[in-house]
Amino acid sequence: MDSLQLGSYTFSSRLILGTGKFSSTKAMVEAIKASGTQLVTVALRRFNRDRMEDDLFGPLSEIGGITLMPNTSGAATAIEAVRAAHISRDLSGSPFVKVEIHPNPHHLMPDPIETWEACRILVRDGFIVMPYIPADPVLARRLEDIGCASVMPLGSAIGSGQGLSTAEMVRIIIRDSAIPVIVDAGLRSPSEACASMEMGCSAVLVNSAVAVAGDPAAMASAFARAVEAGLQARRAGLMPRSGMAVATSPLTSFLGRSS
Amino acid sequence: MATIPIILNGERSEIPSGSSAADIPLLAGVGNQPVAIVVNGVVVHPLDRSSLILSEHDEVEVLVFAGGG
Repeated sequence: MDSLQLGSYTFSSRLILGTGKFSSTKAMVEAIKASGTQLVTVALRRFNRDRMEDDLFGPLSEIGGITLMPNTSGAATAIEAVRAAHISRDLSGSPFVKVEIHPNPHHLMPDPIETWEACRILVRDGFIVMPYIPADPVLARRLEDIGCASVMPLGSAIGSGQGLSTAEMVRIIIRDSAIPVIVDAGLRSPSEACASMEMGCSAVLVNSAVAVAGDPAAMASAFARAVEAGLQARRAGLMPRSGMAVATSPLTSFLGRSS
Repeated sequence: MATIPIILNGERSEIPSGSSAADIPLLAGVGNQPVAIVVNGVVVHPLDRSSLILSEHDEVEVLVFAGGG
């Protein structure tokens, strides 16, 4: 399998894992290891001495072979997102930023206008910019034009587990994009990750589906294999769809019939 | 020991007069892990922390990476 190119970075894994909502740091670390992911998202938050376990920098630093991709979650405007991105880069040393701007906590839909503006500034500032976006082909193209390293359309609402409800729009984005398209948010099952890869996505980003699973490490492994299977199937060449049955066994010369 | 009031992660706090941004991790109860420090909205890089002496009513934020998707 070839690799995933994001900016100047090359990854053999095409599963990006989020670190939120795990029941414990130990469960998160085990899931990351089981997934084989090389790119994980984190969120910038105030230090709280009463919740020392919230600080993931130490545990993540001890896992070899992963790169951090801080997100800008919590930002409601481009200015806030840019500020968070710069602080995160200073802290992580990573050039990656997941631009995530959602002003409404009820639906968490990304604000396309603020997202575009934040991306424009962060590309200029030398980040590898990975925007989380609505599944909008026009916006995706605009973000590619200003130098984003990828676009990450949502499959469905964050944490909803409603799967790849935006599939047809994602197909259009894939068709029109020269940069990697990564489905981010809403995936519930490995089969949906597989389907995303089969349709042409370059990677998938999963968090809740792994974090809240009964066995997060096992689910992470299942997602990793599903992503690989989807990519392999796409490369192998999926058969065309037919509106009619097409026999796989001979329909003639059956036992004693004349034709 | 003379102290000055600052706002530390959104809450009023008293710190020794003459404290620098480099003293903040210890004062905030942070261990050895890396943190980001923002004073009055400006990020203070680790190499600049000891030279930034905090003043009364400075707003200081200590930031870490938490779980997020």
